[in-house]
Amino acid sequence: MIIIMDEKASPDQIQSVVERLLDNGFDVHRSTGATQVVLGVVGDTHNVDLRDYEVMDGVHEAIRITDPVKLVSRTFKPENSIVKVGKVEFGGNKIAMVAGPCSVESRQQIKDIAAFVKKTGTHLLRGGAYKPRSSPYSFQGLGEEGLKYMREAADENGLAVVSEVMDRMDIIPALKYVDMIQVGARNMQNFALLKELGKLNKPILLKRGMSATLKELLQAAEYIMAGGNHDVVLCERGIRTFENYTRNTLDISAIPILKKLTHLPVISDPSHGTGIRDKVAPMARASVAAGADGLIIEVHYDPEKAMSDGAQTLYYEQYEQMLSELKIIATAVNRTL
Amino acid sequence: MNKKDINKIREQIDELDLKLLYLLNQRAELVVDLATIKHADGKKLFDPSREKDIFVRITEKNPGPLAPDAVVRLFERIIDESRRIERTEVYDRKKA
Repeated sequence: MIIIMDEKASPDQIQSVVERLLDNGFDVHRSTGATQVVLGVVGDTHNVDLRDYEVMDGVHEAIRITDPVKLVSRTFKPENSIVKVGKVEFGGNKIAMVAGPCSVESRQQIKDIAAFVKKTGTHLLRGGAYKPRSSPYSFQGLGEEGLKYMREAADENGLAVVSEVMDRMDIIPALKYVDMIQVGARNMQNFALLKELGKLNKPILLKRGMSATLKELLQAAEYIMAGGNHDVVLCERGIRTFENYTRNTLDISAIPILKKLTHLPVISDPSHGTGIRDKVAPMARASVAAGADGLIIEVHYDPEKAMSDGAQTLYYEQYEQMLSELKIIATAVNRTL
Repeated sequence: MNKKDINKIREQIDELDLKLLYLLNQRAELVVDLATIKHADGKKLFDPSREKDIFVRITEKNPGPLAPDAVVRLFERIIDESRRIERTEVYDRKKA
């Protein structure tokens, strides 16, 4: 951490800052410049609230040089982490595909979609049973029954299952049915939930909050890892911007930035990221080109009749077409699909 | 200036560096002795008035060619490191 003093900071003001740093157990390296004094702070400053110093008289700015996160950081672990879910590996050379409906609607629906997913060579089935809908009057999901149908459908086709839990209460029932637990965008900063997930021996798919900075996403992942669960996959799913043509703005730049900052796998969700069916494939292609380790895509045999998010859900043939395009892009960036 | 001269000057610099090194360590030993007394008397590690006196003194006695702010900067670092050794060798240990 460094503290930059104001140009007009008095010697007394500088002294009080030095004194406070020393009282808090840090060593200080002063550097007196032509106009300003800079204080280099030596010690572990992870837990320091920069504002404590910024509010002091004569302080211009306090800047953290070290990462705000430890376990998540690439400084902590330089090589890519690989998270295994069934036959799927996130973070390896092969791009991991996840596909399925937005919601599990019935036993037959998820069975049909699981068979299609299997046929395309995708090994991880998505599907919502607990649905975080914006309106309380929208379809809320089938709950545990939905998870049961999904497990059956996945087992029949040799697939693994990822599904969202919204509440700590849902974790225990979900553990029986899912291979990977999803934390939705709306729960990214539900720290009580993250702490519970940190105690599990089950991979977590952590989605970026719709108004979360990348630093906040990494800190959310740190919560899970700090509890002992290191199998975390990050997911960019679009953020709120002033643009309202699309449902969200898929932040493609988040992918290379996260890949630089963290060793954790990073995937992209162009379905929620755009909210518009015909924009999903272009954004999926862009994500792979930008270095995504995987994609999570909503697919349904009849998107028009889907009980949730039909407008962003691909038809079967669109998903297959997209996969063939992605193969070419994967090759171009030295990956496989 | 030929190569012989350069080597000769470098040798002199090396010699001075060693002298500085010994002097700095000698100073550090005195600082630790002082810290032991300061700590026993319940005095704080940081003594801004004493630091100020040091800067005034060295600026006044500075023969040049180093500029006054240059010697202040050099002594700031010496004092920063002195404070560190006072803390690690005396204040932290007594605390533990």
